[in-house]
Amino acid sequence: MSAVFSDPDDVQQRLDEVDYLVDEGLSTALFLAVTLGQPLLLEGEPGVGKTAAAKAVAAAIKTPLIRLQCYEGLTVNEALYEWNYQRQLLTIRLAESHHDQIRDADLFTEEFLQERPILRAIRYEGSVAPVLLIDEIDRADDEFEALLFEFLGEGAVTIPELGTYTAARRPIVILTSNRSRELHDALRRRCLYHWIDFPSPERAAQIVRRSVAAARDPLIASTTQFIGRVRQFDLDKAPGMAEAIDWVSALSVLGATELVRPDIIRTLGAIAKTPDDRDTIIASLDELGFAASIPG
Amino acid sequence: MSTPTVLRGVDKAAFAVALGTRLRARGIPVGLTGIEDYVRALVAVPPDSRARLYWTARITLVRHHSELAAFDAVFNAVFDDSVLQLDPNARRSPLGGAQSDGERFVGVPGLSGPDQPGSGLPWATLPSVIADAEDSDSLAAIPERFPGRLAALAEVPFEELNPQQMQVLGEWLASTMSTWPTRRSRRQRIDRAGHRVALRATIARSRRTGWEAVELVHVRAVRKFRRVIMLCDVSQSMQAQAAAYLHLMRALALTADAEVFAFATTLTRLTTILGQRSTESAIEQASAKVVDRFGGTRIATNVRALLASHHGGQVRGAIVIVASDGWDSDTAEQLAAAMARLRRRAFRVMWINPRAAAPGFEPRVATMAAALPYCDALLPANTFQSLAQVITEIFRCSGPR
Repeated sequence: MSAVFSDPDDVQQRLDEVDYLVDEGLSTALFLAVTLGQPLLLEGEPGVGKTAAAKAVAAAIKTPLIRLQCYEGLTVNEALYEWNYQRQLLTIRLAESHHDQIRDADLFTEEFLQERPILRAIRYEGSVAPVLLIDEIDRADDEFEALLFEFLGEGAVTIPELGTYTAARRPIVILTSNRSRELHDALRRRCLYHWIDFPSPERAAQIVRRSVAAARDPLIASTTQFIGRVRQFDLDKAPGMAEAIDWVSALSVLGATELVRPDIIRTLGAIAKTPDDRDTIIASLDELGFAASIPG
Repeated sequence: MSTPTVLRGVDKAAFAVALGTRLRARGIPVGLTGIEDYVRALVAVPPDSRARLYWTARITLVRHHSELAAFDAVFNAVFDDSVLQLDPNARRSPLGGAQSDGERFVGVPGLSGPDQPGSGLPWATLPSVIADAEDSDSLAAIPERFPGRLAALAEVPFEELNPQQMQVLGEWLASTMSTWPTRRSRRQRIDRAGHRVALRATIARSRRTGWEAVELVHVRAVRKFRRVIMLCDVSQSMQAQAAAYLHLMRALALTADAEVFAFATTLTRLTTILGQRSTESAIEQASAKVVDRFGGTRIATNVRALLASHHGGQVRGAIVIVASDGWDSDTAEQLAAAMARLRRRAFRVMWINPRAAAPGFEPRVATMAAALPYCDALLPANTFQSLAQVITEIFRCSGPR
């Protein structure tokens, strides 16, 4: 067990240094994941910083981030390992031309093995364990989840021709899910679980202040409050933290110092991602205190 | 690392098992793995505050977002409403019969009976609070009905149903839509039963066999759910039926990924509102959102508005259901023109009319008669049974699967 972090407060402080603000829940979750060597499953609405958490941990402990983006149809060949068939074929041809005898065992060696993210994380040789981010696991097929069990449970990968690889230092594994489908209980059982809530307006303001250095405080405060109100409407896609940061950057690029109606309408594309959401937000601007009568 | 102030002198394993048992009793599937994780976490993060104890327990024991509320209830019941047994009575008979001060609060689950509140925990919890926390959700449940009674209720016209009955029938309606007709999409995926050979995938796989295409990879078209668009008339003349149609629209929006609109004089999109979990609040908010409810009717104007809006593209290839009695303030020519456009763009157009159920019904209203040539079907809809038949009809008309 590596003493990467000393306690949850240390996690909070170290992540703060790389400009990622965490609350007590997430810092405890990350600390336990690192200390107990168990995978951590992060869930939450889109744009609350699930992927960013993994990146921040990697940056804080100065170790590479190995990323596996899941998608429909992801197989063992893209996630774990693959044999380098071209080289195997060349070796056979070469052996034939030299009239050498060649056996199966000669072809299935580490020399012909192509590492994919999970195997790379296991075979990583460094002083600190790498961070493996398995992003949007809900996008992969059910079968792929089953493929991960050995790795998540024992931190090992078995290649039939070569044997089992076990990690010298267990990689810090962070899985994220957007809940587009339910994950299997067997996967959940092997992981620690943390649900990231959408931050309160004050906390959101702190996060935005870190991300957009150029923005003014009054702008940030009114923007995060606005987002908090807008999230209570029935929107097709409620704006998340990422949208809030985009919006404040957009507003400060335009030179806005405080939130006024014309600026909101001009930059609404940063938070409203469908025409219906756009209409809903514009229709409720009066109610939110941005009446059209304000000269702008 | 500070010395832990919470749970000092408590057997961590016994505590974790007791908490796990308590959580399991409330329906949170806490496994032995979770409990083991929790004990290890308690060692790694000495609980020096209630918040830290909460997060440690939540991260290791809960594996699902839907279980968080139940977990919070149990955790609060255990840690907010608990009292250490410090009164003289309790001192005379300490839990578990331990002697020394440090060990007095050690929980021994085996000694206390399973029906005793707070059993297995190193302190006593107030019985009333625990009972409240554990019974609260069972009271709100809707009593289950026998299928036979439900079927009888489905035959009752909408006018004679109360809102509770309507809600039950609405849920029944949603449950009849477990599968949904599909259409062929232009995307393809690998499938052994496919007829077309996927050149790219075959070549890629032949890499393992020295570029000999030993294994042919087949693909076939991905099938997608056929979209349904429903327009519901909520004007004065449809007052009695509108509530029931909202239930049909909600069932469609939830199961079939439908786009649903209500109209009287103007068009209102209800898809997001009706997509909510809670039936009551969905129906309530939908009623509140339709501002021109029970005013006049302008069917032709609203069909045109739908086709002109950015949802107009979604009509293409969709099954469009218009729910109205056909009384229109627009002229018959306008409606005929609008319906002709709708018919050209949609896959099927169905009209459901509450009056069509009456014996000897004839579409004698000029606008209804004008719209009829452009509809694939005119269906009666005055009971939930007939709404279920509308769904059957959607299946029938959407062609072979």
